[in-house]
Amino acid sequence: MQIRIKLYASLRWKLFEEAEWECTPGQKIASIVEQLGLPRNDVGTVLVNGLHAAWDEMVQDGDVLSLLPRMGGG
Amino acid sequence: MSDNKMMSTDPASVVYQRCTIDLATGRADFAAVPCRNLEDVLGGFGRSFQILAERDIACAYSPKNPLILNSGLLTGTSVMTGMRSYFSGYSPLKQSGTGRPGAMWSTGSGNFGNKFKWTGLDEVIFENRSETPVYAVLREGANGPEVELKPAGHLIGLTGHAKIMALAAEYPDAHFAAIGPAGENWQNNYMGAVVMSTDNELKSGEPKSRFAGRGGMGSLMGYKNLLAIVAQSPDKLQKITPEIRDVNRDILKSGGSARFQPTSQGGGGGTWANIEVLQVFHAVPLNNFRPKGCDNVERLFRDEVEKEFDVATEACHRCGIRCHNNLFHKNEDGSRGKLAAKFDFEPLILFGSNLGVHNPKEVCDLIHRCDLLGMDAISLGTTIAYLLDYNERHPEAPVLNGAVFGDYDKIAALIDGAGRGLYPELGRGVKRLSEALGETAYAMHVKGLELPAYLPDTNPGYIFAIAGGHMSMGTHMMLAKEGKHSLDEWVQAITTGGLLQVGYDMIGLCKFVGVGIGHDLIVRAVKEAAGLEIASADIVASVRRAYLRGLALELRQGFHEHEEYTLPSQVMDDPNHKVTLPKFITHDFLAQLRERVWSIFKPEMEGLLPVLEG
Repeated sequence: MQIRIKLYASLRWKLFEEAEWECTPGQKIASIVEQLGLPRNDVGTVLVNGLHAAWDEMVQDGDVLSLLPRMGGG
Repeated sequence: MSDNKMMSTDPASVVYQRCTIDLATGRADFAAVPCRNLEDVLGGFGRSFQILAERDIACAYSPKNPLILNSGLLTGTSVMTGMRSYFSGYSPLKQSGTGRPGAMWSTGSGNFGNKFKWTGLDEVIFENRSETPVYAVLREGANGPEVELKPAGHLIGLTGHAKIMALAAEYPDAHFAAIGPAGENWQNNYMGAVVMSTDNELKSGEPKSRFAGRGGMGSLMGYKNLLAIVAQSPDKLQKITPEIRDVNRDILKSGGSARFQPTSQGGGGGTWANIEVLQVFHAVPLNNFRPKGCDNVERLFRDEVEKEFDVATEACHRCGIRCHNNLFHKNEDGSRGKLAAKFDFEPLILFGSNLGVHNPKEVCDLIHRCDLLGMDAISLGTTIAYLLDYNERHPEAPVLNGAVFGDYDKIAALIDGAGRGLYPELGRGVKRLSEALGETAYAMHVKGLELPAYLPDTNPGYIFAIAGGHMSMGTHMMLAKEGKHSLDEWVQAITTGGLLQVGYDMIGLCKFVGVGIGHDLIVRAVKEAAGLEIASADIVASVRRAYLRGLALELRQGFHEHEEYTLPSQVMDDPNHKVTLPKFITHDFLAQLRERVWSIFKPEMEGLLPVLEG
């Protein structure tokens, strides 16, 4: 199955802005991030179709997975 | 503290060095003061607020209102970021409905804090006010710290940076805290910042100052006719032991600080990156905190700005986090030109998209003007945004120079006028301005302190911040980061982790260390650099008491526990559906939040304040 991955700010600078991604049915978000080669600590927020999601959630065909870097500061 | 290395759990065995300077007479009294509790030991606002709590202050501009300069336990040590100095007093800006001022502190880095600590002092209390403009010289003498007040007529009217450079020519081995024209015009400007020098600034001659901006401590300094403070001492860099080396390595490697580190180090590039992340939710403040869903903020993304400017990552003294993103103009030959501005999230948004200004060059110029005049970027930017909003709503009767969103030239004139004391309507902050104009719903402040660049629609935690919305209650990104929006989650966040953010404003480290105040890193740093074994639970308990003391002090100064612990009413009455995050803040939500948070806090607040005589 295929999903679309969107990366933002420092994650985008490291890899890409947006890409189609092949994954297996039932694959969890943590596993996809690992496939991307991104350290988990670099990812602060995960969205699936615009809604906050947890690392152990599974994606569905056609989902948009957005990965945001850690935020903070003033 | 000073010359005091010991292993102890008894606060009274720790002694700090205080100097009380009567600005009216010039007299200086020195005292070695035993700590009353762990808050005194940790320092910063944890100590200064106990002094403020002993005073009955009805007006910020009163001789009885002290200006307290102090350091934290780890200021001047070799622990990374250990450079903070703190300015505390009753604020001219933060004011309750009864008219009484709120207690405030403000803090910054640079190298002033180190030099101050190395003079042998931990605390200076400036009492009364001088009849004529003076500056204070604090120096290490042969027999201990020495203090001298000197005429400051030659500094009048100079920018904060120019004051620093003028004093630097006279005082080698020193660093400086100064006010700008805004602080000098304290009658008409309540948001004056304290401008602090950095090594980069003194070496390059460029205005790379740091600011203790919040709450108008620079204006209080101006009221006292104290134009600058010189801290003169040889450098006393503490030996970096293997244990401190490990602490510093862990500060860089633990992950907490990574988001602030340069992209070239694999970091997130500082707070600047927040724009792109918040824009995913259309939650970047635009036109007075009212994003429209098609916000044109992409032009302020880092890679866009890099097309026009040379972005240099720089650091405070010996700090490996290197969070400063300084923008330099590019010369025609592509080489680095003059410094344009320091780009951080707050000024970038509050002088950019929130004023409807999207051209990076124009944003740089507005930030630069505010910095040179020595004002708090958050307070000024947010107050101007309100004015522009008002003018757009009232095209038939605009106020001041009639500026509206995006009107760069007129906004620049407003900044200059506010800094020179010509626009008291702006200089006295958004609470007073909105009340004078009779439209308070979209005035973005809580308890008289202007909101930083995180939408109030996303952070009910603002109402329990005690010294500025995002620096004294660490909940400003919770919704965007985690999506949490239930009442239980917000009560939990405010009453546990959120308030502990203020611990960094006690111990002398910068919040960008990025770990919780009870983290093992902090315990190890305190043990290795200060020689004190303090358990994590004790540090956490002390920070909690200090925060609650601040909250109790707010109530004593007349802040109404329901009416003034609220958000701008636009948030509840006219929710912004362009923001794609959950909209959960209603009047009822806030009422329940207040009830539950107060029910937890109030029993703990009992006995934290001294009983005032008379």
